Amino acid sequence: MDQQTVEINLPNQAGYERVAMGSVAAFAKGVGFLPDRIEDLKTAIAEACINAVQHGNKNRPDARVVVTMSFRDGVLYLSVLDEGDGFKETPKEPDIVRIMNNVDPPVGFGVFLMKKLMDGFEFKKLPDHRNEVRMSMKLGK
Amino acid sequence: MQQQPNEISLQKHGEVTLLDIKGDITAFSEPFLNDAYKNSNSEGAKKILFNFDDKAYINSGGIAVLIQVLAQTKRNNQTIGITGLSEHFKKVFHMVGITKFAVIHPSLDDALKAMS
Repeated sequence: MDQQTVEINLPNQAGYERVAMGSVAAFAKGVGFLPDRIEDLKTAIAEACINAVQHGNKNRPDARVVVTMSFRDGVLYLSVLDEGDGFKETPKEPDIVRIMNNVDPPVGFGVFLMKKLMDGFEFKKLPDHRNEVRMSMKLGK
Repeated sequence: MQQQPNEISLQKHGEVTLLDIKGDITAFSEPFLNDAYKNSNSEGAKKILFNFDDKAYINSGGIAVLIQVLAQTKRNNQTIGITGLSEHFKKVFHMVGITKFAVIHPSLDDALKAMS
């Protein structure tokens, strides 16, 4: 981990994403992001943490969520690690018309928002079997 | 880290039933939003305005709950307005398509005028 990287280790409980949100907001402000993009970052990191708690770590009280943030060459990088198996398949984009008509369940909004709000988004399975969501946002875009 | 229960007051403004919603909107908000909607329904509301807290944090769990309430309003042929959102969450609501089923108004006064 280089000296400019910040890492936060969170309990696996709903609500603690707010700690990640506050930290990412402070970090992003410090490297020059404007308020509207900071709000995008806060929402994206919240969704990643919520997914890690509920889907990755399956709400296990003994699991942890690790959030890492760094800034290099004008790009802010976020990583959220959980101890789960990862997505078996990428959740499909939610269709609100189908959801409103009870054809589809109201799921998939978290991944949808991360993809829409961030410049870069990917899932990765690590060699130590942890699951990682990686996101990035360019400064000034 | 427990979220505080949402405080939702129901006010009548002519034809419009205003649901004034305090607090963050997450999956935890489900019983509070559902109860508030049920109460407005039992009073025969045809036009319902959801006024959110502009400092509220709204996540995908809260969006899912809100959409389920909107689905009920659609079945009941009710007109829905939304106000009080921060600029960020107006953008998010537009992204997820809520604006196909509810009008987002710039202010409470504008909403009450437009819906009356």
